[in-house]
Amino acid sequence: MVKCEFTGLAAWVVQRAGAAYMLCFAIFALAAITVHPRPSYAEWKAWVSSDAMSAGIGLFLLALLTHMWVGLRDVLLDYAKPEGVQRASLLLIGMALLSVGVWALQILVHARA
Amino acid sequence: MKLSISRYNPELDSKPYMQDYEIALVPGDHMLLDVMLRLKQQDSTLSFRKSCREGVCGSDAMSINGRNGLACITPVRNLRGTVVLRPLPSFPIIRDLVVDMTNFFAQYHSIKPWLENPEPPPEKERLQSPAERDRLNGAYECILCGCCSSQCPSYWWNPAKFVGPAGLLQAYRFIVDSRDKVTDDRLKNLRGPYRLFRCRTIMNCAEVCPKGLEPSHAIEKIRSRMLNVEPSGGLDTHTPPPGRP
Repeated sequence: MVKCEFTGLAAWVVQRAGAAYMLCFAIFALAAITVHPRPSYAEWKAWVSSDAMSAGIGLFLLALLTHMWVGLRDVLLDYAKPEGVQRASLLLIGMALLSVGVWALQILVHARA
Repeated sequence: MKLSISRYNPELDSKPYMQDYEIALVPGDHMLLDVMLRLKQQDSTLSFRKSCREGVCGSDAMSINGRNGLACITPVRNLRGTVVLRPLPSFPIIRDLVVDMTNFFAQYHSIKPWLENPEPPPEKERLQSPAERDRLNGAYECILCGCCSSQCPSYWWNPAKFVGPAGLLQAYRFIVDSRDKVTDDRLKNLRGPYRLFRCRTIMNCAEVCPKGLEPSHAIEKIRSRMLNVEPSGGLDTHTPPPGRP
């Protein structure tokens, strides 16, 4: 039987590396929009669906969702004391974040189609 | 001088209550502990710990106006209005200002606060270079008063699982000691989500340490050490603020 263990160091590294990436990407995206505005939907779609931007946005979403997972997990590890409540809450949050991730991925794929 | 002191006698009281005292200061009342000792002469039922009376033993740690500190090095002249004294927050109360530190010392013990070196001992002693010795600065000075762990919200929520700032400062002290040879085991002992990584860098520990030490900095360096970043130099320290109004 595989026992599900929470991580300490890995979660900490993932959260901080993700935060650094999100900060860099947000600065880049804001600068790109400021320097080269894309007022029409077609221009916007073309920019977002390029290979590099799709990869960048995909990584941003991954960083955001893992960052949220670690942050919310920390809150529950601190405050949700009955283990059953803690595990059930984590399961719900995990499923919700996964759903958001799949939904966002679908949008990205459709934009590229 | 007016004081409001938390009282609790487990044989008589169902829960702690605050009792007000008023005492005239005399020329010898330099520190808060001086006043408390005279107060105890008036009310012998008042219980608190004390020993060295000069900030070395850490026995008289307590919450002074909501902030943890040592009564023996808290100058009376810095205290204004009614001084509110409570036992260290989150620690089980034994009586009045005396708390049960069993869990605190169990966490301290869990980091194995002694040197481990399987190599045969040299004829005289294990030597350190000045640079190796410098790494211990800011860590070895801890007096284990418990002010930091008791003021740490992460320790309040998970006292049985989170080592706490005092224990982690000592863990760092042995991790960076060049004479200790079980660093990997020490780091492995702190992996997992609770023992080290419950720290949210709130930094209450550094704020209240009566010796001016910074356990949060030690925790940061342990995390770096887990990522194979070798520490250099000692930990940051600061001048602890004297008792606040």
